[in-house]
Amino acid sequence: MVFKNTASLNRRGLLKAGAAASASSLILPEVSWAQSESPVKIGNIDPRTGTYAALGENQIRGATMAVDEINKKGGILGRPVQLLVEDSQGLPGPAVSKAQKMVSQDKVDFLMGSVNSAVSASLAQFSSQHNLLYIDTGGHADPITGKNCTWNTFRTCSTTWLETAADFDLLYQKFGKKWFFITPDYAFGHSLHDDYVAQLTKAGGVSLGNALAPLGTTDFSSYLIQARAAKPDVLICLQAGDDLVNVLKQAVQFGMNTQMTIAGAQQELEVLEALPPAARLGWWTFEWYWNQPGVPHLEEFVAAHKAKYNGKVPTARTWFGYASAHAIALAANQAKSLDALKVVRALEGLVLPPEVALQPGKCYYRAEDHQMIANMFPGNVPNGATYPNLFNVAQTVPSGTIAKSPAEAGCKLVYPS
Amino acid sequence: MSASIETKPAAAQGSARMLVAAGIWVLLLLVPLWLPALGGYTDLATRALIYAIAASGLNLVLGYTGGLSFGHAAYFGLGAYGAGLCLIYIAPSLPLAILAGTVLGGIAGILVGPMAMKRKGIYFAMITIAFGQMFYFIAVRWNALTGGEDGLTGFSRVPLHLGGHAIHMGPVRFYYLVLALFAVVMLVLWQILRSPLGHSFVAVRENTTRLRFLGVAVDKQIWVAFAISTFITALAGALNALLTGFASPDNLGWQLSGSFVVICVLGGMRSYWGPFLGAIIFIVAQDYLSSVTQNWMSFIGLIFVLAVLFFPQGLLGFIKGRARS
Repeated sequence: MVFKNTASLNRRGLLKAGAAASASSLILPEVSWAQSESPVKIGNIDPRTGTYAALGENQIRGATMAVDEINKKGGILGRPVQLLVEDSQGLPGPAVSKAQKMVSQDKVDFLMGSVNSAVSASLAQFSSQHNLLYIDTGGHADPITGKNCTWNTFRTCSTTWLETAADFDLLYQKFGKKWFFITPDYAFGHSLHDDYVAQLTKAGGVSLGNALAPLGTTDFSSYLIQARAAKPDVLICLQAGDDLVNVLKQAVQFGMNTQMTIAGAQQELEVLEALPPAARLGWWTFEWYWNQPGVPHLEEFVAAHKAKYNGKVPTARTWFGYASAHAIALAANQAKSLDALKVVRALEGLVLPPEVALQPGKCYYRAEDHQMIANMFPGNVPNGATYPNLFNVAQTVPSGTIAKSPAEAGCKLVYPS
Repeated sequence: MSASIETKPAAAQGSARMLVAAGIWVLLLLVPLWLPALGGYTDLATRALIYAIAASGLNLVLGYTGGLSFGHAAYFGLGAYGAGLCLIYIAPSLPLAILAGTVLGGIAGILVGPMAMKRKGIYFAMITIAFGQMFYFIAVRWNALTGGEDGLTGFSRVPLHLGGHAIHMGPVRFYYLVLALFAVVMLVLWQILRSPLGHSFVAVRENTTRLRFLGVAVDKQIWVAFAISTFITALAGALNALLTGFASPDNLGWQLSGSFVVICVLGGMRSYWGPFLGAIIFIVAQDYLSSVTQNWMSFIGLIFVLAVLFFPQGLLGFIKGRARS
């Protein structure tokens, strides 16, 4: 298996100028690049192996589609754009090694990518040391646009806080105020739990208990018995991956889906697709969904994606990659420069045009903390759901109404003088 | 198999070896000049050297003393966390950070040694893995100090202060710092291996029973070898933290321990330069293959299988065997 490593411009072909000219003229019918035009390089570091490979692959697909479109519309500053893709394995060490390679060997102009927060944090730090613009496409930890924010880092996906705040109101009003939690026993799980409890207490609800399950738990029966004994209105499962599959399957075996509402925080189409049908249930939040009736340009985007990728629909991850790559091009063209600081200034407050936003309302990078403010999509998995109709959006919640303010998030940007 | 250290070389063989060693050092000194021309970059060479240090440390136990340690990443990781924590909480000093990391990992090795040394063969391997995973979970769970599974960030390579001058550590300068420390490690290992202590390590590997009959405290020898080796691996970990700018739990995990063993086996466990050669092959293959295909791990595995099948003494053992015959 060979990487489909670049978008419309083949990386090695570009090195051979002649080959590049013929290749690009084949793929880019509308604009033909001059042979001497050196490409603007966007380095995309995403997991292609390991736990997050499926999510990483979709982010790469989104970025690839964006770069194709950018090149058709004239590239960045009249130069073609080249997307270089490297595998982070979902681990910060290899991610930084790849970033070092991209900066010293490939001489990339911008960096983007990452699915998990550990990688995002390390790439944010790396790129600020190298005066490079970095867009965190998919790592959610609050500090990245909060207390550890840097002048050069932007984030397209939502924050941990938004993951819980998005469906809290819906769950609370629809299903009741007595909640029980099954939390994976590590930092990320704890922070999701704490965020939910803070909102629950504030609204006047009550947490009946919190069962801490170690990562990699296969038998959830003791936790589920605890939860059933507490008789909550809502059972919140904060697991991910295989743990989520196990807890949901066993909850169904216990018949708990008929006694209470099973819910959780953020959920992904990739995860629901991988779940066995018996475990496809519950109330969750999506960060983007392919089926939003009445949203302009969305149908074309979904159709283009299906045509390019075997009939698969784009996911939130696809959109993260797509929007991030487009944002870089928009900002660089607006700044008329590739200089990191100038592009950063152009990205601050940049509103995504409708053909990139692909959702209602105003989608923009907040200037004070560089966090994308878009929408959250709480809803549920319908009974007997099959791909690709795995989710039913109940509400479209503008992130701006529930996000923490930059001051609350603790972000103070310091720019290079 | 006679390890290079045991053979009493003839004069001609000795001078040939000197020539090879001199060639290696000259090439290493000139890396920033020739590597970019070959499509590499300086940080790649730095990483290869760091892995060479770690694997050379491990090889003192694995190759020379015959102890299958599958948990050496623990000391590598402790070195990384030690250096990072020192830079964040104690003082922004490069030498102090390297020292702190080395000492932290080394002390852990000294403490773990007595518990591991009583076990033989597969049990030694298991207990070293177990201790490795113990440190891994401490790093994951002790959120407040280590940053949990997000890793420890927020430190960077501070300038080196020498005689009132602040020397900024760019990639090239950091490479030379790592190269200097690599030279020190190789020199120390060389001195140890030709001393009676080093000979006793090899004796432990070759015939433990006989050594016991001779009244040698075998356990103590293993402990000493283990402790020295963890100090060296921890040094590599500290340097790695400075190279990448953070420490993360996967610096402590069993996968990395496995990589170190693969490096030793690939290059040649019975050879002084074996881990160095293994590290170069491993790092270059990893860097190149992972850019070309997402199944790069299969290729690393394939290289390993082929190496074990056809060069059971490692690549260097094979080359030496050919040269001798």
